[in-house]
Amino acid sequence: MRFKWLLAAVLFVFAGASVALAQSDCSKIVPPSPWGPNDQTGATNRVTPAVTKAAAAEIQEGKVITMSYLLTDGIPLFGTRFTKSILTATSLAPGAAFGENQLTYMEDTWLSQSHVGTHLDGMGHIGRKDCYYNQTPMGKFINQNNMTKLGLEHIKTFATRGVLVDMVKVFKAAGKFKGNSACKRECLDKGTVITAADIQAGLKMYNVTLREGDILILHTGWGNIFEQFPAQNATYNSGEPGIGKDAAHWLVGQKVVAVGADNWAVEVIPGEDPKEAFIVHNILITDAGIHILENVRTDLMAAEADRTQRATFFFGMTVPKAVGLTGNFVGIEGIR
Amino acid sequence: MTPPAPSRGRRRYSFWPRLVAVLLASTVAALGAPDAQERRYTIAFANLTEEPGVTLEGTGFIGREVREGFVLAARLLPVDLVLYDNRRDPKTALDNAADAIRRKVDLYIQYHHDATTNATIGARLHAASVPVLAINFPVPDAPLYTADNTAAGRIAGEALGEFAARAWRDRPVLAVIIGNVGARDDRAPERIQGVVDGLMRHRPAIRIVTLDTQGNPARGGELLDRLVAGQAGRKLLIAALDDASALAAKSALEAAGRLADGAIVSHGADRSIHGGMSERKEIDPSNRGSIVIGSVAFYLDRYGYDVLPLAVRMLRGEPIPPRTVTRHRLITAANVFVEYPPSDMN
Repeated sequence: MRFKWLLAAVLFVFAGASVALAQSDCSKIVPPSPWGPNDQTGATNRVTPAVTKAAAAEIQEGKVITMSYLLTDGIPLFGTRFTKSILTATSLAPGAAFGENQLTYMEDTWLSQSHVGTHLDGMGHIGRKDCYYNQTPMGKFINQNNMTKLGLEHIKTFATRGVLVDMVKVFKAAGKFKGNSACKRECLDKGTVITAADIQAGLKMYNVTLREGDILILHTGWGNIFEQFPAQNATYNSGEPGIGKDAAHWLVGQKVVAVGADNWAVEVIPGEDPKEAFIVHNILITDAGIHILENVRTDLMAAEADRTQRATFFFGMTVPKAVGLTGNFVGIEGIR
Repeated sequence: MTPPAPSRGRRRYSFWPRLVAVLLASTVAALGAPDAQERRYTIAFANLTEEPGVTLEGTGFIGREVREGFVLAARLLPVDLVLYDNRRDPKTALDNAADAIRRKVDLYIQYHHDATTNATIGARLHAASVPVLAINFPVPDAPLYTADNTAAGRIAGEALGEFAARAWRDRPVLAVIIGNVGARDDRAPERIQGVVDGLMRHRPAIRIVTLDTQGNPARGGELLDRLVAGQAGRKLLIAALDDASALAAKSALEAAGRLADGAIVSHGADRSIHGGMSERKEIDPSNRGSIVIGSVAFYLDRYGYDVLPLAVRMLRGEPIPPRTVTRHRLITAANVFVEYPPSDMN
């Protein structure tokens, strides 16, 4: 009897081991990083001092334009995501102030998922099977709290040039604009595929050529539905205009650092192939280490570009060195 | 070493044929390179009906989903769509075809149930030199894209038979076919025949009963409730003709305390039975223990992805088969997110 239990225990251990070892061969699923087998940084490797210095030339007036939405109750959140803050203000109670100077204080507890509001997708956000950026077999590098590889702490800087492309203008100029009645300002309809040719047309409108290390920001107008929260949250989340696979591949070739848009996934939803899930995320993040920026506020910069006929700016964004995180909400400012 | 210069006359003689050859070659290249200056086609799609709540083909899909599938699929093709709603009405269908002829569309996709109307429309479009592609209901001389109800039913029947062979090998089993069994327009008889074939492949002597909901899934629950009461100790293999009937059958078994005695496979795989990450519907990776084993996909929401490429091939002069069928597949908790990837996780 005792032997049977022992045998069962041995079999259990072996069965468990075989499950644990059932990993994919990531060298066949994800391409290697151009920055070597130990790279966990991805495309911010491209933001060299020379790139930052060149981007600084975009600051000509000192005008700062916000490119983030407010992170507050009621904004569109996907699925079961949540973000909630709890204020600690106990020292405001009578008699609770400190010292003769009557110091009081307040602090917050922020219970939030990281991919909410205007946010950054990090290298560890999206994979293929268990394979993530730079052929990382992610199953080996996670615990119940965070990732032990590809976390936000490995990102370098985003101090580079931002380039805005106004897709509303592009589609109108091409005579193929189709809007959505929920938008109070002009927006492309959900499901509108933005191609590489569309982006190129938008760059040409402002006589810009992408250069290595740029961050591309797309204005689709869909963000106007975000601004109508909470009334239009269901519409906002029901789909979006965005880039297709062709544009994603082209952007990889342009060696950009990040691609952002005023929508919740940057890529077109519903996608081009109904049997593919968020394929542009795979192309940009998993395969090329290029970050995705979601829910970027673009209307102010689009208006500024339209007014001045200049669509470039210094891209200001700091990402917290939060160890092991897959992404985080961010504040973005375009400085001109 | 310098080659000898050709004589003047010889040079003139060789110039003109070369010029002609170059011109000919460039013309041929231009004609034979459709991608360089790809032609866009105007294709009309006349939907069966887009009346809200009216379901199609004996599934839970509605006309709006079919139309949206065409619109999404057209994004990938050099196609401009003209959309019509036939409203299940012969006169409207005739008017729609007439309008398409006036607009000089390049091709007409007809989805309409009435054979006489389809014959008239086919003749009129033929006279106007507009090629036709038919969906689910034939138009004379036009290629047909159609669901394969017999094949779908067979997939369901075999899935149930395999389950019984695995889980209930030596147990008494009764097979139940539940749904709108008399719906001939929806090809229910073909679906049923397929189910029977599939079941009998595993258990040739299996007893099969049919419960007719007459189009009201709630009625199916009542019928099943009565049937179950007289089948103590017997396992039930339930083939539901549509997803709503499957869910009603599951509820009936649950109410009767007989969930452990049933296994259900349905037809359609519409949004009532599967959903996204947050919706947690019956067929879901987190619900692998459900007695609803799966649903055979009919993909009405993806007709456009199958039909429009056929239409473009026709317009390019390429041969297409006279009959193309939907590739039905059993959607289970194990593959639902592959077949219908959720978009609510980003």
